Amino acid sequence: MSKKRVIHYINQFFAGIGGEEKADIKPEIREGFVGPGMAFNKAMDADAEIVATVICGDSYFSENLEEAKKTIINMVKEYKPDLFIAGPAFNAGRYGVACGAIAEAIKEELNIPAISGMYIENPGADMYKKSIYIVETGNSAATMRKAVPTMSKLAIKMLKSEEIGAPDEDKYIPRGIRKNYFAKDRGSKRAVDMLMKKLKGEPFVTEYPMPSFDRVEPSAAIKDLTKAKIAIVTSGGIVPKGNPERIESSSASKYGEYDISGFTNLTEESHETAHGGYDPVHANIDPDRVIPVDVLRDLEKEGVIGELHNYFYSTVGNGTSVNSSKEFATDIAKKLQNDGVDAVILTST
Amino acid sequence: MDLENQKRVKDLVEKYGEENVIVLLGAAEAEASGLAAETVTNGDPTFAGPLAGVQLGLRVYHVVEEQFKGEVDGDIYEDQIGMMEMVLDVDEIVSEMTEIRNEFCKFND
Repeated sequence: MSKKRVIHYINQFFAGIGGEEKADIKPEIREGFVGPGMAFNKAMDADAEIVATVICGDSYFSENLEEAKKTIINMVKEYKPDLFIAGPAFNAGRYGVACGAIAEAIKEELNIPAISGMYIENPGADMYKKSIYIVETGNSAATMRKAVPTMSKLAIKMLKSEEIGAPDEDKYIPRGIRKNYFAKDRGSKRAVDMLMKKLKGEPFVTEYPMPSFDRVEPSAAIKDLTKAKIAIVTSGGIVPKGNPERIESSSASKYGEYDISGFTNLTEESHETAHGGYDPVHANIDPDRVIPVDVLRDLEKEGVIGELHNYFYSTVGNGTSVNSSKEFATDIAKKLQNDGVDAVILTST
Repeated sequence: MDLENQKRVKDLVEKYGEENVIVLLGAAEAEASGLAAETVTNGDPTFAGPLAGVQLGLRVYHVVEEQFKGEVDGDIYEDQIGMMEMVLDVDEIVSEMTEIRNEFCKFND
């Protein structure tokens, strides 16, 4: 059997052209392998070889997305490849996104399999894991030696049209595809088996992994509430009537800071919610239902709390990414600290 | 190891020969030391630089290792490196360096 033809995509760094200062180079194609292609050729050995390598600067690709994709597709087409390999990009963000985008485009335009390799936290992994196979790699180029054999194995499987196994078998990032299969035991037995293992402290593998969230340690309790300055922060989207900051009803890109020093009660006339994704009627009729300004003013008057902070902070939680939320929170926390706030009440919708 | 330094090592080896070059490292961590050591023995592990696929197998030591320390004036060593030696994880660096040398160094001494 003659060797299958592979085209490899790499950025300016792996081509040995240079780092950030060369990230604006335009796409070019060279015969044979360049850089990490050497390792791929060794790993794919008798089955396949890199016939040409596309090199493109990361900045150039991201700033000229459509043009770069078109140019590269035309370059690749000439070589009539059987498979396309992009990267691996490890944890390099722009490189990862470029690898994902070009692999997806090649797969669609030329109708050949395309794979890449990335660290699980590379933004490109999340963006393209559904459209292409992305092998999970370590987070730095130092793990190239491990990434190449795994990627090559998957590539050869694809070239031979063998069936691709589950993500943990073939070491790619789960693509969100569910596949039916016949298990040896029925569900109830498997669940009890798992429970028994758990009780015995033995290792077991869940069939339904939960998403992992980070845990935030609660702060120490407040010693004297009667002297504490309390602030309100909400992801419930309460804003002054008319939503002056134009906070989006979903996937918010910002938060607002609003003065409530003159308010003892929020009303339909003064405030509303910007939050989408649920029935906002009750929140709009009485915004205190989302951020309890009225009750906190009462507590302030009764001397239960020291004072209510003059500003409240608000964004929309609906579909807003964890990353944006973290950014907002870092900002808001800094402001609250500078204003001497002792405690914060967080509310949602 | 950055591309420029890889090129320097490659050029020096071409000029003087593998047996006449020793590489001394001063990296602050075992992992970084190991990567640099691997680069000048087994080749650039990232396959991005001039030493990609070039197995020089050079003698390579970290300055906190006994092999180097034993060869230089103790007072000067103390003056120049003593401080860093105290704060670095010497054992981890030595074990990483030894592992790389045993696997990839061409010279058995």
